[in-house]
Amino acid sequence: MTRSKLRIVHIISILICLSVHLKLSAQRTQIKGFVAVQAYQEDGKFNFGIGEQDLFITSELNDNFSFLGETVFKFSPNSSTQFNISVERIIVNYNYKGNHNALIGKHHTPTHYWNDTYHHGRVFFPTIERPLLFAAQTLPIHTTGLAMQGFNLGKLKFGYNIMIGNGIGSNDVVDNDSYKSVTAAIHIKPKDKLQLGLSFYNDVISEGADLHHDITVDEKINQQLYTATIAHFGRKFEFLAEGTLASNHANSTGTVNSFTSYLYTGVRIKDKLIPYIRIDYLDYQDEEIYFIKDDTFSFLAGMRYEISYLIVVKMEYQHIDKEMQGNRDLFNTQIAIGF
Amino acid sequence: MRYMRLMIFNFVIIIIGLFHFTPVIAQDIELTIIGNTESVPDELTMNQLKSILRGEKLRWDDGKGIKIALMKTNTPVGTGTCEKIYDMTGNELNKYFLALVFQGKVKAPTFFNSVNELESYVSQTPGAIGVSHNSTTDLIKIVSIDGKNAF
Repeated sequence: MTRSKLRIVHIISILICLSVHLKLSAQRTQIKGFVAVQAYQEDGKFNFGIGEQDLFITSELNDNFSFLGETVFKFSPNSSTQFNISVERIIVNYNYKGNHNALIGKHHTPTHYWNDTYHHGRVFFPTIERPLLFAAQTLPIHTTGLAMQGFNLGKLKFGYNIMIGNGIGSNDVVDNDSYKSVTAAIHIKPKDKLQLGLSFYNDVISEGADLHHDITVDEKINQQLYTATIAHFGRKFEFLAEGTLASNHANSTGTVNSFTSYLYTGVRIKDKLIPYIRIDYLDYQDEEIYFIKDDTFSFLAGMRYEISYLIVVKMEYQHIDKEMQGNRDLFNTQIAIGF
Repeated sequence: MRYMRLMIFNFVIIIIGLFHFTPVIAQDIELTIIGNTESVPDELTMNQLKSILRGEKLRWDDGKGIKIALMKTNTPVGTGTCEKIYDMTGNELNKYFLALVFQGKVKAPTFFNSVNELESYVSQTPGAIGVSHNSTTDLIKIVSIDGKNAF
């Protein structure tokens, strides 16, 4: 190769590198964070506490591909630093046509409006904490797998989310068995700020599977979750109700049905002030072997003051009546921020 | 009597001052919808515009991705955009988009401090649509809304 040809090759190489660099630098990446601090009265004493710190990253890779990551730093008494890092969402999104997307990664399972909308952003939560059906571990909060999603389709603004992933008992990198979980969720928005939704979740939980609540499954369980949602967040009134019928089938017990639900409603009485209530109701059938059978009723009343969309103060009183743990009264105050 | 005259004089001065120095309020601002010359249609209905700017549609009919350009909500054009198009306050609009981006459902709009910056972005970005005021540049197209070039 002559010297002049070599020079041309060098120039072309430099131009290619430059064009790649320019394309990469055109990529739009945004980093946001959410955190909350709390003060609460429990067991006869007053406490201060910090909540999860949520790091949220989005990046537009090109016209079709985008990335979303959500990582939480949270208190963990068993860790040497007393904190753990938890990857909550890692999603690569391919917008292949119109409002239709294919997504792969770790998702929040779209069985419930709350799980699919608020994620770990406490500043978005209408109440201080999630409804009790989350703490009771009655829904598979995460699914690692593939999803096909569409939204705002047609006059009713129809939306769908079909997800196939590693089932219950698996972790973020490997499935514990050959069964795959299937989630199918649909919703419509017949009016502005009103959403009606239905979802179905199916999984086979293998014998020996380790569950989040330190329980090992003794025998194979076929699980189906049927969930209905009504969500309305208008300028004046807010209403969110979700109910799930969980059907767990094992050879020793047959089919056992449990019902978990919550209802939230609030009224904006001033520009920034919203008093609200929430009722949680968890009812397990006597033969339940998959969930911890701890029938629960809770009433919560609180006040939300939205200083801005990035700073929200909430104060709550909650009475919880649990079959196993008895009655508890909680007073809680939280400042949630986005940054 | 002299005191009374002084009071009237002061009152008149204050009224004249108010007329002269009252800032342009958001409702008075005429908004113009501008678009990149590529992919963005020449005309839309107000309902179509609202749906597009709310992030309810991700792509134009030719398949090009929609990119939304808005003035910051604390600017007069931004406040007018919130009121006339979104029927929201600036705070509500910011919360609306932050929540949607957090859900992974839309790409965040790009917000600008000045109309010149916004128009420059729209002119250079295929598929971009923005809300401006008194646009004069030839590098972008004016999108008529319900047959009007400004509203």
